[in-house]
Amino acid sequence: MTQVVPNGSKATRPTPQVETITVSKFAPFRGVVFTAVNLTSFFILWELIARAGVINPLFFPRSSEVFSALYRGFADGTILPELAHSLTNFLIGLAISAVIGIPVGLLMGASRIADLVLSPYVWAMTSLPRVALIPLLILILGFGDAMQLTIIVLSAVFPIMVNCMAGVKTVDPSLLRAGRVFGTSQWETYVKIILPFTLPFVISGVNQGIARGLVGMLIGELLGGGGNGLGYLLDRAGEQFDAPMLYGVLLLLAVMSVSLIQAMRWLEERAAPWRDITRT
Amino acid sequence: MVRLGAQYTDRPAAEPPEPSQPAEPSKPVEAAESALIEAVEVSAGYDNRRERTRLIALRDISLTVRRGEFLAIVGPSGCGKTTLINMIAGFVQPLSGTIKVRGMGVDGPGSDRAMVFQDYALLPWRTVERNVEFAVENRRGRVPKQDRERRIAEALALVGLAGFERSFPHELSGGMRQRVGIARALVGEPEILLMDEPFGAVDAMTREAMQAELEKIIAKTGQTVLFITHSIDEAITLGDRIVVISNRPGTIQEIIEVNLPRPRFDERNDVRRSARFGEIRAHLWGLLSGEALGAKSISGGPA
Repeated sequence: MTQVVPNGSKATRPTPQVETITVSKFAPFRGVVFTAVNLTSFFILWELIARAGVINPLFFPRSSEVFSALYRGFADGTILPELAHSLTNFLIGLAISAVIGIPVGLLMGASRIADLVLSPYVWAMTSLPRVALIPLLILILGFGDAMQLTIIVLSAVFPIMVNCMAGVKTVDPSLLRAGRVFGTSQWETYVKIILPFTLPFVISGVNQGIARGLVGMLIGELLGGGGNGLGYLLDRAGEQFDAPMLYGVLLLLAVMSVSLIQAMRWLEERAAPWRDITRT
Repeated sequence: MVRLGAQYTDRPAAEPPEPSQPAEPSKPVEAAESALIEAVEVSAGYDNRRERTRLIALRDISLTVRRGEFLAIVGPSGCGKTTLINMIAGFVQPLSGTIKVRGMGVDGPGSDRAMVFQDYALLPWRTVERNVEFAVENRRGRVPKQDRERRIAEALALVGLAGFERSFPHELSGGMRQRVGIARALVGEPEILLMDEPFGAVDAMTREAMQAELEKIIAKTGQTVLFITHSIDEAITLGDRIVVISNRPGTIQEIIEVNLPRPRFDERNDVRRSARFGEIRAHLWGLLSGEALGAKSISGGPA
């Protein structure tokens, strides 16, 4: 056993020193309660301003109208099929993007040749505004699911690819040196050092992919004229001057994207706990 | 990206047999059987392809490291100390000259040499024990699974980390992280321990405690140590010999025999108060402050 230096100040202890402290049972719910109060006040304020009649109700319905439009939409089955359509399309598109984007991005990070060959196209596609592709896609694929799915994939795949590539390229060089000192084969270097290091980058790539993919989903449905999805609901509500429905669908979209992003954030914390702690 | 020396792979595979030494003014010729590492007229540099220049980091370094000795290497920053240790580790190939370990030319990293890094280089997603295991689980230097747990436990006990097996590096202080780094380097039972400013990033109090523990650990395990440091005091307290490297291009300016009794960390007899310590210290300060001011070869270095 090691003796600690006689006058050394840093004594090592067999266990980390942990003491119990008392915390209110409700502490974990404080954030939730605050958010609930915050949102409720927001909708009440909205209601009051709308009732005051300062703004034309054609553009600015009362929040109660928005909620009842949503309720009616769900009750009579106008919303649910469209929501399901959009969500399914979006999730399939995201899955395809991940399946293509992650390996290609990793390959671009690891292989200089792959990077040199692919990067002009990847960067062009990353920077190109997605809407510009719509006419071409309609020409090729017509209206409908195939076109909508394609635009989602084209929106989401490149941020995923670029992030994965960046992850591999920024692997801490001293970890790679440690790998060489301690005898890793090339395969072991990938599996034990590069991939775990890249995992948080993959997740943040998917995060960006979600944001971009939602835009892709909407432009596909709004401009693609397929006659389904939340984008179609928005389009129709606009044409019918149905402001409550318009706001309702926007609310639904906000809830959808916030939950997806939150789910990814939860995943990110699980995947790379060391990053979170070193940040604080 | 990391293969610094990858472009210098045009080294001849077979080395000619050791020629009779040419006149070497600054290097005493030592008994062959005690030489563990031998560097003969080694130069190293880095190519800057954009500017089409080559920066010579080290020029004509000749050095013999004896088996079991603790060799401290000091010099101003940027003098090529790290390049020297990286060549011995096998990361960097010399431009000219040869480096031999146990008489064999170095052509890459090997499990006879382990390294302790200044920035710890621990895998943040692994616990302490899994980080130590990293040194004995890979293709080169793999230890059978049934022996690993015992050796990991021994290495952790040696550095005073028993009880922290399941902690993650980010939960530990800098000094404790470096203990993990040392345990990882020792678990494979290498012959040579290469330490690149291992205590450069820890606070002064911890640093001193770590030095004392390192001395004890090495007394038990018997590694030959090459220890790079910025600190003159650290070099004298730990080293059997001190190699002073001058500024770019790095050359060996002097090799000093420390000749202080061990253990150096003894509460009743603090070597740091001894006359010999002060003498070496003053001498080193003279050498290095001259270097820091840019005055080269103040003590008659090789022309």
